[in-house]
Amino acid sequence: MQEQPRTVLEVIAPTVDEAVAKGLAQLGLPLEAVEVEILDRGGRGIFGLLGHRDARVRLVVKAPPEPPAAEEAPAQPEPTPAPAAQRRSEGSRRWRGGGRGGRLAKPAAPAPERDQPAQQPAAITEEDRPLRIARETVAELLEKMGIEAQVSAQYGEAERGRRPPILVDISGKDLSILIGRRAERLNALQFITRLIVGKELGRNVSVVVDVEHYRQRRERQLQQMARRLADQAARTGRKVSMEPMPANERRVVHIALRDDPRVITESVGREPRRKVVIIPVK
Amino acid sequence: MKELVEYIARSLVNDPTEVHVAEVRGGATVHLELQVAKEDMGRVIGKNGRVANAIRALLEVAAAQEGKRFTLDIVEPR
Repeated sequence: MQEQPRTVLEVIAPTVDEAVAKGLAQLGLPLEAVEVEILDRGGRGIFGLLGHRDARVRLVVKAPPEPPAAEEAPAQPEPTPAPAAQRRSEGSRRWRGGGRGGRLAKPAAPAPERDQPAQQPAAITEEDRPLRIARETVAELLEKMGIEAQVSAQYGEAERGRRPPILVDISGKDLSILIGRRAERLNALQFITRLIVGKELGRNVSVVVDVEHYRQRRERQLQQMARRLADQAARTGRKVSMEPMPANERRVVHIALRDDPRVITESVGREPRRKVVIIPVK
Repeated sequence: MKELVEYIARSLVNDPTEVHVAEVRGGATVHLELQVAKEDMGRVIGKNGRVANAIRALLEVAAAQEGKRFTLDIVEPR
């Protein structure tokens, strides 16, 4: 199964619709080209934000386009971008997606076509190597830690002039043990993963490892807290110190208040007790 | 737990053949001793012991699954 083209993608997003849209964007395919399996509808728990669960969907890339419409009476006009009929006439098999159980499930023996791969979005012909290494590394670590969970990897948004970070998401049951106090264990997992993947690729990589969207939730929580404490600092004219937190969380606070003209932020103290101080501007 | 340490160490060092982990189980505590080539000591310890501490943090999870405590020592080849 080494070079098996990837035809399945799992996506997690706040709602089913968003997850599907995100997955399609990543595959570069229209909705008609995939089957959507809903793994988890997600939903708002009874406590609103607190119980919020993201939706999870699995997109399975369908076998190549259906046979020409001539054979069956078309139920409704298909608005497919490149009609199957036309594609067929160009020469037997343009589309060799390689879906299990599809019409062309077999590796479609010889018949290699020179110009064919360029048309495929990279995502379905082969999972990107850094992503694969990151996902496999985290899966391996978890397995050896005795943790059962699903691991997926994708690229995040790139910051100016940088390569996009690799986001590895771990999902499963009872994973709070993986987070630890002040996310200590999660950060350790992230750090070790970054070292291993970096060594494997021979360059530094930016890897974010998340468990059940913990970092995302924590980030929102930190932003809210930062704004509230900035209000307090501005109102009272006094400095406000936050709890000690790891560098990545302090960064969230600094960025959240970067454009607030009423305050400046500073990190003070030594690791692991380093913390953000919000200082009102006179 | 031994496999976890071995996997991490082998992935980080330049000479994986010199990675050896001894595991001594004494009641509720598992004692682990990681040995790597002299030149690779820094890679498994890290600045201010950062790598070693991260390995320990992950061992905590593995140990908790087994309901055990552990110690981890990193030694040079004798």
